[in-house]
Amino acid sequence: MAEDESSLAEFEQVDFLKDRHVRFFQRCLQVLPERYSSLETSRLTIVFFALSGLDVLNALDVVDKPSLIEWIYSLQVLPTEDQSNLGRCGFRGSSHLGVPYNPSKGPGFPHPYDSGHVAMTYTGLACLIILGDDLGRVNKEACLAGLKALQLEDGSFYAVPEGSENDMRFVYCAACICYMLSDWSGMDIQRAVQYIRNSMSYDNGIGQGAGLESHGGSTFCAIATLCLMGKLQETLSERELNRIRRWCILRQQSGFHGRPNKPVDTCYSFWVGATLQLLDVFQYSNFEKNRNYILSTQDRLVGGFAKWPDSHPDALHAYFGICGLSLIGEPGLRRVHPALNVSERAFEHLQQLHRTWREACT
Amino acid sequence: MQFSIYIIAECNMKLMTRDDKSLLYNVGGKEGVLDEEVLLLTQQLLSSNPDFATLWNYRREILLHLETVRSEDEIQRLYEEELSFLEACLKVNPKSYGSWHHRGWVSTRLPRPDWARELSLCERCLSLDDRNFHCWDYRRMVVRVSGVPVDQELQFTDRLIGSNFSNYSSWHYRSTLLPLLHPGSPEAASPQREPPTSSLLKEYELVQNAFFTDPNDQSAWFYYRWLLGRGVCVCVCVCVCVWGFSTNSEVILRCGYRNALYYKSLTHLHKICDLPPGTISDTSNEHNLTVHWTERHTHRDCALYTGRSESWCRDSATDLELFRSELSVEKSSVLQSELQSCTQLLELEPQNKWCLLTIILLMRALDPLGYEKETLAYFQTLKEVDSMRTSYYSDLCSKFMIENTILKMEYAEVRVFSLCEKNLSTLCHLDQLLLVTHINLSSNQLLGLPPQFAMLQCLEVLQADDNAIENLEGVYHLSKLEEVSLRNNNITQLSDLKILTTCPRLARLDLRGNPITQIANIQSQLAELLPSITELLL
Repeated sequence: MAEDESSLAEFEQVDFLKDRHVRFFQRCLQVLPERYSSLETSRLTIVFFALSGLDVLNALDVVDKPSLIEWIYSLQVLPTEDQSNLGRCGFRGSSHLGVPYNPSKGPGFPHPYDSGHVAMTYTGLACLIILGDDLGRVNKEACLAGLKALQLEDGSFYAVPEGSENDMRFVYCAACICYMLSDWSGMDIQRAVQYIRNSMSYDNGIGQGAGLESHGGSTFCAIATLCLMGKLQETLSERELNRIRRWCILRQQSGFHGRPNKPVDTCYSFWVGATLQLLDVFQYSNFEKNRNYILSTQDRLVGGFAKWPDSHPDALHAYFGICGLSLIGEPGLRRVHPALNVSERAFEHLQQLHRTWREACT
Repeated sequence: MQFSIYIIAECNMKLMTRDDKSLLYNVGGKEGVLDEEVLLLTQQLLSSNPDFATLWNYRREILLHLETVRSEDEIQRLYEEELSFLEACLKVNPKSYGSWHHRGWVSTRLPRPDWARELSLCERCLSLDDRNFHCWDYRRMVVRVSGVPVDQELQFTDRLIGSNFSNYSSWHYRSTLLPLLHPGSPEAASPQREPPTSSLLKEYELVQNAFFTDPNDQSAWFYYRWLLGRGVCVCVCVCVCVWGFSTNSEVILRCGYRNALYYKSLTHLHKICDLPPGTISDTSNEHNLTVHWTERHTHRDCALYTGRSESWCRDSATDLELFRSELSVEKSSVLQSELQSCTQLLELEPQNKWCLLTIILLMRALDPLGYEKETLAYFQTLKEVDSMRTSYYSDLCSKFMIENTILKMEYAEVRVFSLCEKNLSTLCHLDQLLLVTHINLSSNQLLGLPPQFAMLQCLEVLQADDNAIENLEGVYHLSKLEEVSLRNNNITQLSDLKILTTCPRLARLDLRGNPITQIANIQSQLAELLPSITELLL
């Protein structure tokens, strides 16, 4: 990781400051600055960025795992005594609604507005896996019932049962949930696959929905979903895959951007990089330019990464910057599973869990 | 209970915890809770956190309730205030999913919607950020619901594009509008292609103006490529086979097909039917069969000759124009004139990668063999100009070399396929090599023979010297294969060769210059593994 002292003076500083990033994520888990208050309802996703980031940095030992596990379980929307809220179960983003604290011991508290959010259920489960939990207190049937209630006719998903926008992001969240719980009964796979096909755009990228502009983020969500389902080759012909590969590989300008004619942004080094990896062509991208861009957005004082150089770092870009570096094989980082977006170590723990569940059935 | 995570926030959080209990706990038919006062409270919260989905939903519930107890004028006023509130939210965060979604909902509830106002909001938003897809999506919805005619929207994109060619989102929008005005020919209804309409030609002109003005702007090039390729990919029967085999007393004639365009499985053909006994008589020398694929309006003929136990009939890659169907719609005269325009541009901008890529595409569409030399030269320039993607272009170039070799083979009507020294890093289009008997892949950079290689069912001789092959998984069940030459490759152990046991006719094997030759006793081990081999070179 350390460069020659002499060359450092001449070139831009391109060393990866691991310790700063560890401290950055630690701070994310303790106190967030005021400007994050608008993300209160999605606080669990920030926890995911920090935990998964620390995992990839090989530094999870700085975290108080039991406390965090308790807190995450307190976010689960559990079935009430009379089971009337099954279609609203899942995980919340934080305690903002004021429901009494309950680390998933006993039935849920009846509240007319309490419901899970698909992205929080996804990140909640992912965090538990990363922390080594066995998902023992997750009410799987309830989570899957809550997920089923979110799918629309066209195959896409709402975020919450009362309704919201619906697009590819939530299709991906749904797929991750089913994958982690090893149970695809939570969604109509055929319809979801159809939604993905319908979202392919004229320029061969994939948009958030039918007729919408191709976007690196939604392309990742679509391809990763198909991979998690095991249906990539079945859904897309070789010609179509080649076209998607072409669209994706042309996203690299130095780092990657998410759409043509937009500036590059650190997080796309993961969104597009992981897509290229899943499509077996990541090795054709230029690693050096990618790495140089990501590191140019590194905050040398505070740690973390920003979307652009000389901007403020944030948890999301810090996490995806590190994942982007992991994809190109930066030393000292764990490998990231490109479809599930957790470390390979966490992924193996999940596999082990699945084996245990299977054995328990037989 | 100690939370490990907490947030320092402003008064909005205090507002929530103070009033939240009364607001959200007591809802449900209770008087005074679904009223404007609550709207005001939730407004303050949503101003700082527009992505609080629950609160937007709560607002919708309140508004729906008020619809039942207020007059139409009051409802109109209520929703107009909602729109003003939303504009303020969008000023702060023009990319909030929650705000746009709510606005979309409000627009459908207004007793007297003002679509002109909505369209003008979109214009203002887009003038600040022409790539804001939330705004584009909202505009599309407004257009759809209010029934704005498609050609009017097309004019809108004309204006935007005219003022700023570099507007990817406008081109994208145009791509969704055009097919509404000019639907393509119904899927495979007829093999004939529509002649280019004048509006399509005007479209070409528009795009050309764009990339002549700013050749470095990707948006026009992507749109252009799409325009050129607006053809329908027709599914065809690639290969029909009739073969006979006897079981005890009967001779069974079976007919099958393989559709290589969607080829997924390895070796088996899809069986169509067994021919009824007595179909093939001994008196006739030739029997002609036709397979009709009614869904796709296509058919394939096959002839079975006496004395032959099997017969294959397939379309050549030339007939199918398989490699050209990227740009299938246009007559070659149109493509030719497009090629001229691009070549002109290249003279002015010799380093422009988009121009190079498009020229290569057009050349391959028009005459892949005729333009082979130029295409290779352009590829070389492309690799220098866009050095970030050098390995991607090498891969692409390998594919084109293979395509050209396939075309040459068919023109010469031979079944010998030679790809020596073509810098190949990868193999593809193996489904086009079903009839090949001799293949030469020597002096390339291949690492292995992939599973699809097993499609070469007629293969008799395989030469693949001077590569880096370690993996032979595609040399599987090749029942006619007699000779394999793998000099100077990377075969290291006996297990690498195990797959050759599936090729019963294999008689000659050349493994000189492979690491495996260093293993003690390898000669006798190989003799045991592959007893059919008569000539083994180590």
